[in-house]
Amino acid sequence: MMGRIREYWNRLFFPSQPPLSEEAAEKLRVDFKDRYHHFKLLLSANKQALEKMAAIEGALRGESAFGMTFVRSTCTAIAASVLRMIRCMEVLAPEKYPELRQQFNAIQQQILKLLETSFRPHVDSALVVPLNVIDNTWREQAGGKMANLGELHGHTRMNIPDGFVITTAAYTRFMAHSGLQDEIDRLLQVADAEDTAGLMGMSSRIQQVVLKAPIPPDLASAIDLAWKALAARHGTGLRIALRSSSLFEDSEAVTFAGQFRTELNVSRDHLWESYREVVASKYSLQALTYRLRRGIRDEDLAVAVGAMVMVDAMTGGVAYSVSPVDPADRSIHIDAAWGLPKTIVDGSAAFDSFTVDRSPELRLAQQTVRHKKDLFVCNPEDGVCQMVAAGEMTDRPCLTPEQAVAVAKVTLDIEAHYNRPQDIEWALTADGGVTVLQCRPLSVAVLEDGGVQSAAAVAEAEVLLEGGVTASPGVGSGPVFLADRRADALTFPPGAVLVVRQAAPHWATLIGRASAVVSEQGGFAGHLANVAREFGVPALFGCPEAMARLGAAQEVTLDADRRKVYAGIIEGLQARPPKVVNPIIDSPVFQLLQKLDRLIVPLNLLDPTAREFHAQNCRTFHDITRFLHEKSVMEMFNFGKDHQFPERSSKQLFFEVPMQWWVLNLDDGFKEEVDGKYVRLENIASTPMLAFWEGFTAIPWAGPPPIDHRGLASVLFQSTANTALTTGRQSRYAEKNYFMISRHYCNLSSRLGYHFATLEALVSERAPENYITFQFKGGAADIERRLRRVHFIADLLENYAFRVTTREDHLTARIDNDDSAFMYERLKILGYFSLHTRQIDMVMKNNARVQALRDKMLADIDGELLASPSAPQHIGPDIS
Amino acid sequence: MTDFTVMLVDDEEDFLETLAKRLAKRNLCVLKAGSGEAALETIRKTPVDVVALDVRMPGMDGIAVLKAIKAFDPAIEVVMLTGHASVEAAHEGIAQGAFDYLMKPVAIDDLLFKLQDAYKARTINLKRK
Repeated sequence: MMGRIREYWNRLFFPSQPPLSEEAAEKLRVDFKDRYHHFKLLLSANKQALEKMAAIEGALRGESAFGMTFVRSTCTAIAASVLRMIRCMEVLAPEKYPELRQQFNAIQQQILKLLETSFRPHVDSALVVPLNVIDNTWREQAGGKMANLGELHGHTRMNIPDGFVITTAAYTRFMAHSGLQDEIDRLLQVADAEDTAGLMGMSSRIQQVVLKAPIPPDLASAIDLAWKALAARHGTGLRIALRSSSLFEDSEAVTFAGQFRTELNVSRDHLWESYREVVASKYSLQALTYRLRRGIRDEDLAVAVGAMVMVDAMTGGVAYSVSPVDPADRSIHIDAAWGLPKTIVDGSAAFDSFTVDRSPELRLAQQTVRHKKDLFVCNPEDGVCQMVAAGEMTDRPCLTPEQAVAVAKVTLDIEAHYNRPQDIEWALTADGGVTVLQCRPLSVAVLEDGGVQSAAAVAEAEVLLEGGVTASPGVGSGPVFLADRRADALTFPPGAVLVVRQAAPHWATLIGRASAVVSEQGGFAGHLANVAREFGVPALFGCPEAMARLGAAQEVTLDADRRKVYAGIIEGLQARPPKVVNPIIDSPVFQLLQKLDRLIVPLNLLDPTAREFHAQNCRTFHDITRFLHEKSVMEMFNFGKDHQFPERSSKQLFFEVPMQWWVLNLDDGFKEEVDGKYVRLENIASTPMLAFWEGFTAIPWAGPPPIDHRGLASVLFQSTANTALTTGRQSRYAEKNYFMISRHYCNLSSRLGYHFATLEALVSERAPENYITFQFKGGAADIERRLRRVHFIADLLENYAFRVTTREDHLTARIDNDDSAFMYERLKILGYFSLHTRQIDMVMKNNARVQALRDKMLADIDGELLASPSAPQHIGPDIS
Repeated sequence: MTDFTVMLVDDEEDFLETLAKRLAKRNLCVLKAGSGEAALETIRKTPVDVVALDVRMPGMDGIAVLKAIKAFDPAIEVVMLTGHASVEAAHEGIAQGAFDYLMKPVAIDDLLFKLQDAYKARTINLKRK
């Protein structure tokens, strides 16, 4: 009554607001449409930003492998979404929140700075540097491998091959020349570590591009000069080995074991070709996968290449200054074969093993001599490397005890110099000298706490395979996958036990997905063993006949520590958790993402009613999106409510009788326009609202549950103590039960009983844009009862696939991206809960009644509520 | 949603063909242009509602094409596509009046929705005049 008088009064005294002309009304309708469209765009940008933030959190939890592409594209996508939201808000409320742009720019600047500065530009320097001037300070230019080697020579006078390094500056020069890097960037954009087939294609395309790229003239002449200097010392028939040496390679955290190519016995004629081969191997399948899994950025991995005079090796091998798989074992472990050590690192042939005690003096403690029928030689005459029959040397130990001790001594000297366990590659020349070809820090496995092992289960289990060498400790089980050809990698099922003939480096692509590895050849010194240890995957190498004895798809359990493979999955062994490592946690990209995360994901603006809820307090992108979402809803509400436009003012819902619910039509939420005070339910076109309403009215409320004496006292006390319950401090939107709707959208703000709930839903045929969020807060009871109710509701909602988070007595539930039928069903459930959780906080301390309530609600929902034909009838073609 | 005309501009022919086929199946009228220059020639001859534009092309780059389209007819909405995750490109495109920005590889539905939203913005803008 008062309202009508006021309206009359206004018309009488404020003639500036006459009934609208049709033209003006049409203009207003377009205005409303435009605002709603921008509001909808803001909501969709908000959803995209939130999804990308969730992706960052997932990546930091180690859920998936990611590289720099992910970091960059995710940050860009979030920034673009936030910017889009700001622009939409500028349409909804021009110049109202100028601080938002400032805050956005400030955060964005910091993000760009992180993205740029963490990419260290490699200081330009000489393209080629002689090996004998290099030491550890040259890591940036010469890469880890060559810096380690140069350091040894300079500081310990140990034998290393003569040679030079083609630096990272040369690499950058090569990649910049003829736009090579740009083209690679383009191809790399879609790299995904889980997609082996896709990576394989990409890898071969990129390698082709590199192999065809021209060598820049200045680089060519620099290398020429260095070659001539070397030839002056070693003769014109000079042959060299080309080895990659990258920034991360051979540091402790990131070994890159065997991921790059080494070219042996290279003559002057094949120098360019071989250089390109080594550089291209940065994009080999195993190197790409490894890098993606470790989160190492393509641009951070500049490759230097060492060129070293070929060593005429009688015997070659690998030595570890301690055992890599057993921290208690401090003896020196040597694997050796006739000729060059290549067959040992790529696990391709049999070799001898020697163990040398360190104290009281170096002494050969143990040797295992194997049948070495082939040996690997490089013939300097014809430039070919090949396997030849070992003849009478086949069963002879390839090191005498004195030679083994000499190798051990060199190994210990290097360990002493670097003061940590070492992994070295060495060659023994005809004069009896030991030449160091490579050295790097050795990671030693950390022993797990052994879980309870069921001795009985193990005793009963059938042993399929026994012996070999523990290449990586631990226990793993799963179905056997026999991999013979490289193409088999394409069909490798995650979680399988990889079984191979040779411990070849290319199998490293599968290590991240395997539960265990068994190989017929190889030992713990090979590249594959290194990678298995790095990724914490149990591995047993040197098991002849493994391929024959283990059947494809057969379930087995590998106990690498006891060097046994059992049939079946053995519970007792399984109980020992596999070593959980996040392979990329210490990588540069991971650390970068962590820093970026702090600027993007944390939410500081929590309470919209708080004084701090202000644009200038937005410290992260999430704060901005949260702020914009809240304010945009308010703007939409106020515009409709305050505007002198009868067809868009709020209407009271009429459902049999006038209800205490008001409806604001944002766009196409009504079937036909309404001029009067009421909107009838039949006239509502908003499908999400109808679904909610269906659930809300499906089953009558039994009324407030009878409360126990203490519950009532608690309510009375809280009602007087919490002014928010009694006074109008809340925003106006919160005062009544309001629906803001369009055909596909519904935003409900309600105060039912003493609690406050908001529901927002967008449901249309665009499933990827669909979402429902439901927030719930407050109540009249004391905090403990409120918390119990929040947990009660959270538990029920989780039953129906909602993702629920709770923070004190504040609950947020969310569902995304499902099809409309499913979304309508969830809305019905929320409708049901909105009615039936009224005032249940009163009984929350009575466990028996809580249980009864829960049972009744689940029965209601799964019975009557969802049994009735679901989904509103009003879903027509989208005519918006 | 009423059908409307979209022009795809990209120098990668495979991408262009696949996308055109898939959008045509969804009842859009699709025009193709293999370069910025070709795109500008097309809009002078044929009415276009929305343009999906690759940022990085040989010859005239995406931003230059965007500016030229907007100069020719500001009511044409432009959705930028790029293979490069570059915030600067996103900023620049939006600052120059692009409707939005999508990163390649783009899911067909995401692109379709974006084009529909752009078309809707266009119809509202035209009504306002």
